[in-house]
Amino acid sequence: MSALLSFSPLGGGLFLGWTLGANNAANVFGTAVATRIVSFKKAAILCGLTVVLGAVLQGSAGIRTLSGLTQQSISTAVIISVSAAITTTIMTYLRIPISTSQAVVGAILGISLSVRNAEYSGLTKIVLCWIGTPIGSMIIACVVYKILGWFISHIPMSMLTRDKILWSGLLIVGMYGSYALGANNVTNSTGIFSGLIQGVSDKTLAAIGGAAIAIGVLTYSKPVMLAVGSKVMPLDAFSALVAVLAMSITVHVFAIIGAPVSTSQGIVGSIIGIGFMRGVRVINFRILRDIALGWVLTPLIALILAAAGFAIFISSAG
Amino acid sequence: MFFINKQKQIESLLDDYRQQVSKCLEVFELAFAQYLDEPDRNRLEKNFLDVSSAESAADTIRQEVEVMMYSKALFPESRGDILGLLETMDKVPNQAETVTQTLLNQHVLIPQQYREQIKQLITICRRCVEAMLDGAEKLFTDFTNATVAVGKVDELESEADHIEEAIIEQVFSSNIEGFEKILLRDLVRQIAGISDRAENTADRIRIIAAKRRV
Repeated sequence: MSALLSFSPLGGGLFLGWTLGANNAANVFGTAVATRIVSFKKAAILCGLTVVLGAVLQGSAGIRTLSGLTQQSISTAVIISVSAAITTTIMTYLRIPISTSQAVVGAILGISLSVRNAEYSGLTKIVLCWIGTPIGSMIIACVVYKILGWFISHIPMSMLTRDKILWSGLLIVGMYGSYALGANNVTNSTGIFSGLIQGVSDKTLAAIGGAAIAIGVLTYSKPVMLAVGSKVMPLDAFSALVAVLAMSITVHVFAIIGAPVSTSQGIVGSIIGIGFMRGVRVINFRILRDIALGWVLTPLIALILAAAGFAIFISSAG
Repeated sequence: MFFINKQKQIESLLDDYRQQVSKCLEVFELAFAQYLDEPDRNRLEKNFLDVSSAESAADTIRQEVEVMMYSKALFPESRGDILGLLETMDKVPNQAETVTQTLLNQHVLIPQQYREQIKQLITICRRCVEAMLDGAEKLFTDFTNATVAVGKVDELESEADHIEEAIIEQVFSSNIEGFEKILLRDLVRQIAGISDRAENTADRIRIIAAKRRV
């Protein structure tokens, strides 16, 4: 019973992990599912498995980094994860792909402002990354589109061979993206509890967070997947592959230079880039406006929820 | 591996189908050439059976491909495209069979002065079908060049139209019986219909290639 109680604060992290899976799986498999190249069931199972693998094998490194960046008590950690999870759930319900990092950063800022110890130096870099990711991804998508397009147009092949190449490419890149999603984003889910729960190692936190993300993918990721893969603009199999590949390259490049970025912003930027290559009239600007609004509102909502949660906690504590 | 085998099987069946359509047009041309050189109804009857069995063999292969398509081995988009292509292409051997049947059943009299032109029309129609079949083959060997391959189809279809109109104009300015004029006109229209159907298939091929163009 005491062991169970010691795990109970993790509920917030598990909730956040579930919403993360529900929202962010769209970024790696959304285009493949929306173009009906991979069935949702197959995509969800592959994504869930590789997310857990990424979280378990490489997730604990990110958790250590986060615990070095922010020091939270068990109470504030719960407030942060629940606030970020509620924000992500709202956005998932609205079918808007968002960055859970934005929600977590917004919530941390909400707590920091409440206790008046906000640290703004790192914030500028984070905000610049939020702006740079979609732009970078857009440019990379244009380059990838040109290069891959050249190969597809100049190598004689059957239309069925082309299908096979695209199908394999989407599965491989999707699984790679899912692995990276588990490795990088498990930090957002349970990383904040690092060192706060006795007897729970970072490795265990990563495994629990990974499982929560996988359950989110399996149970509630389809609406955002379809929104990402078809609402911004109609994609064919080739564009679907270019979008995921460009997103993966962008996130990888940013990770190498030390800036963890959002796959949601990456995939939306990629799709816009492809839209520019195919002619801007194919882009649904109304959906883009909603997504951009979602990105601005996500940290703000999380900030308000965390500040409100903290105020309730303080007043009830006495 | 499963995917590769399925692809090979489908491509091989599609290849058989194209060959069967080509064979159907070959026996069709032969049937008409022999009849126009020497109108022998017994031989025409035998030749009609050859055209009909070639058409029927093409149908069997098409049905086999369709069943294989529903085994979900392909992209949904490609499945729809290939089924649509087969449906349109199937109208070509059907038309060849219909024309031969019309000649046989309606006892259409073809005066000597139109025989060479009708032979020429049939040759153009067959070339048109062969150009379309080349384009269809390209979809499964080098799909980006399929559009170039079917470029010849429009040209030949237009040539067939000119010959068709010239024959009809001559028929109606001749002294043959009125009802014979109508029968002859219908027969010529039906023959030219083969190139129209080949052109429709070529349009499908163009769309399939264009959808995959980057």
